[in-house]
Amino acid sequence: MMNETTSIDHEPSRRSFLKLIPLGLLAGAFASIGGAAFRFLRPKLSAATGSWLDVASVSELTGPQPLARKIVAEHITGWAITTEEHNVFVLPAKNNQVLSAICPHEGCEVAWDQNTSRFSCPCHESYFAADGARISGPAPRGLDPLPMRVQDGKLQVQYVAKEQATRA
Amino acid sequence: MTLPVEKTHAWVETTGGIVGVLLLVQFVTGVLLAFYYVPSVDHAYTTVSYLEKVVSSGAWVRSLHHYGSQWLSFFVFLHVIRLFLSRAYVANKIQWIVGILLLGFVMAAGGTGYSLPWDARAFFSTRIAEGLMAGLPLAGRMARLWLLGGSDISTITLSRFFALHVLVIPAFLIAVVVWRVFRSNIGDIFGPRHAIAGGVVFLLLALWCLKYRAPLGPSVVDVTADYLPRPGAQFLWLYQSLKYLPGGLGSLAGVALPGVVLSILVLLPWLKQQRLIGGSILGVGLVLVVMMTSASYISDRLDPKTSRQLSVQAAHEDVWRREPFKPAPVTLAASTTTASGGGPPVMYTKFCANCHGPNGEGTRQGRLNFPPLLDVSTKPHRTVNDIVEILKDPPAYGISPPMRSFSDKLTDEQMKEIGEWIVKLKR
Repeated sequence: MMNETTSIDHEPSRRSFLKLIPLGLLAGAFASIGGAAFRFLRPKLSAATGSWLDVASVSELTGPQPLARKIVAEHITGWAITTEEHNVFVLPAKNNQVLSAICPHEGCEVAWDQNTSRFSCPCHESYFAADGARISGPAPRGLDPLPMRVQDGKLQVQYVAKEQATRA
Repeated sequence: MTLPVEKTHAWVETTGGIVGVLLLVQFVTGVLLAFYYVPSVDHAYTTVSYLEKVVSSGAWVRSLHHYGSQWLSFFVFLHVIRLFLSRAYVANKIQWIVGILLLGFVMAAGGTGYSLPWDARAFFSTRIAEGLMAGLPLAGRMARLWLLGGSDISTITLSRFFALHVLVIPAFLIAVVVWRVFRSNIGDIFGPRHAIAGGVVFLLLALWCLKYRAPLGPSVVDVTADYLPRPGAQFLWLYQSLKYLPGGLGSLAGVALPGVVLSILVLLPWLKQQRLIGGSILGVGLVLVVMMTSASYISDRLDPKTSRQLSVQAAHEDVWRREPFKPAPVTLAASTTTASGGGPPVMYTKFCANCHGPNGEGTRQGRLNFPPLLDVSTKPHRTVNDIVEILKDPPAYGISPPMRSFSDKLTDEQMKEIGEWIVKLKR
């Protein structure tokens, strides 16, 4: 008799507590997967190899015009090694400074226009002078110079990823 | 006194909740795996290795998906038996049909999923699927070609298994589950007992997967002739049965019979003698699965040669897991590094590429190793003229089948063109 009354008294709160157990179990299960999913999907920053890439022999870099050259860079992203070509411009008139062809605005590749003697970006009409300085357009700054050195008569640069280049 | 009986009954009914939770786990982990996996024969194994070795929680997520599929098969089977015993085929036809369809689709998902890692066991499981299809009466030839997407297992085959596994079968599974959910009382499905049972089973699975990694055999390129492939636990009954059945009957037992049996079970609500038909099918099925699965475990343990080889394979896998991950090169179309020297002659692509690879890199097909042609000119007797002579008469150069003479297929001019291209191939 005594027992019965107590059990009736406690019924509502115990019921609602018991109802929490299954909810808690399922929530725990999916929280554990959710936490794993976050770590699982977190992007891996590609390791900058920082290796020096050949641009050209110093002896062939002459004249007043910027010279278009290609560098071949190897990137390791996740499971993949990709080999990509990037366009750069060598400025013999500016002590062989090497400019990345990537526009600092949104990352399109600029081209050298011989007629107007300036670099032009095909995407949003930014213009740059022969030394890479910004003339007009939405670009926040001039073309980015790449780290360079001369080794055994060869001009070499380090490739700098686009995301770094576009950062204002 | 009636209360305890009712309670056990209520807990027995939670097989549905367990199946629901495990299905959800398969969907979530499957979607996660798809964020890294690439369904192509040159990258599938690399991306699965990357998941296992580099991605945070990758090995756990893959293990959940792998063992989850086996647990799911087990609990769906249990669910169907439970539904039969409670005569759901009369009382709740939709629940019954959904149970049977789930069993079929879950097994189909398991079967297609085994091919995806493209390791040695995946390759053999694809071969077996191919053989089972080819052995079907009447439609066998067509069924095999449609499954493979060509006359042999290729990267197209892997794409087909991938599409079936991640798009077609899940679409059916979702449709079946949605049908079940919308045609019944929500309270029946999401009752607290279902949630508790599902949660406990998930907890056990999660712990199991922390301890046991999903197996990954050697890559198809590295597999040795003594490698023993073993299917997942849910297919051991089929694997063991195929040992006892003469060739042609295997296809009937592995494909046709399950299809017929599942169709009969789906139609059970409209048949007469329901208890007899359903009972004998499920009874025989249960006995067969239990007996064959045990037989397969026992025969692997008892035969000393087999058990030694299996433990050698497990040791190799441990060694492989400790090796650091090696990234694989990806060729982009714009890259100039691959475009040196021009592509292969048309006749090379037509007659030689199948075995020696599209660019002379060689291939491996099952246990046959087709040698690469790269750097072949550095070997003695491999000038352009020699290659032309080999194409005419391989035995004269000591080259044995499957390399054969192409005198009947190629003109001297075409052979010379192929030879001139081959001697330029460099590693």
